[in-house]
Amino acid sequence: MTRRTAPRAVLLAAGELLAWWAALALLWLVLISSVDTLERIVGASCAAVGAILARLGRRAVTWR
Amino acid sequence: MNGWILAATVALGGGGAAVLWGVTTGPPARRVIAQNLATSAVCPALLLLSQGYGRPAYVDLALLLALLGPVGTLVFARLLCDDLSEEGASAWALTWTAAGLGAAAVVALCVAVGPGRAMVKLLVVGALLISGNVIASRALAGGFRGVRGG
Repeated sequence: MTRRTAPRAVLLAAGELLAWWAALALLWLVLISSVDTLERIVGASCAAVGAILARLGRRAVTWR
Repeated sequence: MNGWILAATVALGGGGAAVLWGVTTGPPARRVIAQNLATSAVCPALLLLSQGYGRPAYVDLALLLALLGPVGTLVFARLLCDDLSEEGASAWALTWTAAGLGAAAVVALCVAVGPGRAMVKLLVVGALLISGNVIASRALAGGFRGVRGG
């Protein structure tokens, strides 16, 4: 039997991940020297990994 | 030789001499402040050199330094907390002077570069440099005693 998570919590988590992803992807675009398709793909992937790590880190610090 | 390289030379020479004098003399509290000053002097100098030589890659070095320098100082603050708690390593005039140097360099470069991605990058480096500098100074002065065991 799977545990049901409240839709509100899922939405909040998704929103936070999206916010982290957007901020990190923007930072990537600002810091690289030339913007092209490959850089965009790599940046979006790295920002996705970074967003997950950032959320994990924030939770670890906030609720100890 | 242009104005940017001259300014970088002054920042490197003056800052470097102050750092060398600071880290080789006096008690540990003074030496650890001086090594923190190294980041604050070299990072703006690298930014100025990148403009002087027309090499944007130097900005990446400055970014890395602005990120890692304060982290190194926090490690020192953690390891030397017993020495620092006796003497108190407070140097707010120096901290804000160094922050002002960084801010002046970043503003001058932003004016020279003009609006665009390069300017945002410079502002990110400047924000990292100044906030890192202030946080590291506060840690050395014992501002984060509550997290000492962390």
